[in-house]
Amino acid sequence: MISDELKKVILTQLNLDDYDLQDDTIAPSVPGWDSLSHVNIIVAVEEHFKVRFKSMEILKLKNVGDLQKLVDTKLKK
Amino acid sequence: MINFNSDETPTLWKRWLSNAAKYPEREAIVHWIGGEEPVRWTFKSLLDTAKKFSVMIKKMGIKKGEVCAIIIRHNPYFYPLYMGISRTGALPAVLAYPNPRLHPDKFRQGIEGMSQRSGLDYILTERELEPLIRPLVERPGSTIKSLLFPIEWDLDAEFNAKEDSDIEAFAETIKETEPALLQHSSGTTGLQKPVVLSHRAILNHVKYYGESIQLSENDKIASWLPLYHDMGLIAAFHIPLSYGITSVQISPFEWVLAPILLLEAITKEKATMCYLPNFAYNILAEKIDPEELEEISLKTLRLTVNCSEPVRDESHRKFVECFGKFDLNKNAISACYAMAETTYAITQTEPGVEIKVLNVDRTELANGKVKLTDNGTNARTCVSSGKLIKGCEIRIVDDKRMDAPLGMVGEIAVRSVSMFDGYRNYPEKTAEVVEDGWYFTGDYGFKFEDEFYIIGRKKDIIIMAGKNLYPEDIEDIVNQVEGVIPGRIIAFGEDNSEMGTELVSVVAETKLEDDKDKNKLRMDILKAGMSIDVNIHKVYLVPTRWLIKSSAGKPSRKANKERLTSGADPQVWSR
Repeated sequence: MISDELKKVILTQLNLDDYDLQDDTIAPSVPGWDSLSHVNIIVAVEEHFKVRFKSMEILKLKNVGDLQKLVDTKLKK
Repeated sequence: MINFNSDETPTLWKRWLSNAAKYPEREAIVHWIGGEEPVRWTFKSLLDTAKKFSVMIKKMGIKKGEVCAIIIRHNPYFYPLYMGISRTGALPAVLAYPNPRLHPDKFRQGIEGMSQRSGLDYILTERELEPLIRPLVERPGSTIKSLLFPIEWDLDAEFNAKEDSDIEAFAETIKETEPALLQHSSGTTGLQKPVVLSHRAILNHVKYYGESIQLSENDKIASWLPLYHDMGLIAAFHIPLSYGITSVQISPFEWVLAPILLLEAITKEKATMCYLPNFAYNILAEKIDPEELEEISLKTLRLTVNCSEPVRDESHRKFVECFGKFDLNKNAISACYAMAETTYAITQTEPGVEIKVLNVDRTELANGKVKLTDNGTNARTCVSSGKLIKGCEIRIVDDKRMDAPLGMVGEIAVRSVSMFDGYRNYPEKTAEVVEDGWYFTGDYGFKFEDEFYIIGRKKDIIIMAGKNLYPEDIEDIVNQVEGVIPGRIIAFGEDNSEMGTELVSVVAETKLEDDKDKNKLRMDILKAGMSIDVNIHKVYLVPTRWLIKSSAGKPSRKANKERLTSGADPQVWSR
């Protein structure tokens, strides 16, 4: 499940008030989330949670659920 | 430098054959995959596999001159497949693999538009796209004869030495003046213009452009560029393949997710060159975690070529500042001016020499005059795209296509030994832009000393991250959104210095007044853009009759863009 905190970071970056982000939501289905904004979202998530992702970790992300898991792993939840 | 004689090997296949004979064990293509060992093709192994593909191509009934659209993701078999098609005299045409956000109907419309215009004969793709494309093939009147899945072919089982030798004999008869490939310009719904290039045009370009970048046997080109784009296909694929040097091919899908892949490939493979659209300089300089850069060394990189969108001095500065400490030579930064209609480049800055930058008076420039200035506040920084390449000519012309005086801005007209043979099945479009052998580019620029500076466009094309977008496509789709006043929409590109590129903005007239309704309308407009794979970055909503009309009675993109950017208007809602 996507935490409100992660959702807020993503939606703020995309300048959206609300959007239903589920585990299986893929980036291209979210308005504004394209390859250019993707890098900004990743940087914003890293800054907000004070974590660092490796490029290979980012490459393996298939959906928002994977991003949530990666954040959780980094925070050792 | 290699003595590149295109007379000895007048077609692409003959050139590739010659390279495989001369350098059988030299690496031709290193197919890069993030986090895995790359697939390495030598010139010989690539050619041997291409031969096998050509046997299958023939077996499928594909004939000389027929167009084979290739829609395949990053795959090591793409390259020999492409070459195998060329060997049979058929024309490869690389098309973009659809982004998941693209609505299936819009994707089909795009293919249908190309099919009607270019006469696509075969589509070679992946099984995953079959449900999407099959209906097009089965439609009455379709030009598409068959849908093929070449990655699944059992090349060894189907190989036949007699057929192989027949194809080789046939390849011998292909003339250098005959078409070699088809490139489609950008666009989403059938506005694509199919550019036909001959073997001679491409090989002339390899020779002369190779000279201008001082290409040598020691060079190695690293690229993440898509191969449906002329910079990817010609500069980063055809040129090294024909020249007999190695290219490192990275997936564009992977690169946008992990830009460091390019730097890793340059470091590990000791690449000497790369081609980058302007926005990539910003991304590489600013969006990679410094910790990840620890093992990066760009000391082998002698040339980065900025092309495909307006070149920005600021982007170069950011790149040099960031990568200077990773052994980047600041004089490796270069730029060129290129277009599919002339195969690729027309001008190129001198390798190893600091790129020239001019500060030009903005007011004078708006009046078409080039006047250098020291006044920082009113200066526009113009970056050189370099000198003419051998075999190419440029004229700067006025609105009547007459030569403009030196020191004036004008439309750029080009002529070259690598000119296209016109837009396929589109003589009226060809006649619009080609006159007496000169191609009128629609780009504005000027010449200063012996270098050319490109400063704008006559047409309203938006160039976002190196991709050309037609505002008409965006306006058409937004026109269908409920709440927007039909016909009262404009789309334009808005500069974004952080990303180093243009982003798409839309202005629409609406009768809606409530903020909540406007937010919903904005979301609907964003989704409409998504359906044609266009990310609309900013939406401006304005009341009825706000948009200024042009003399043709349609909302003027230029005038309204200026009105929006000239100051705050309380009537404008934007987000």
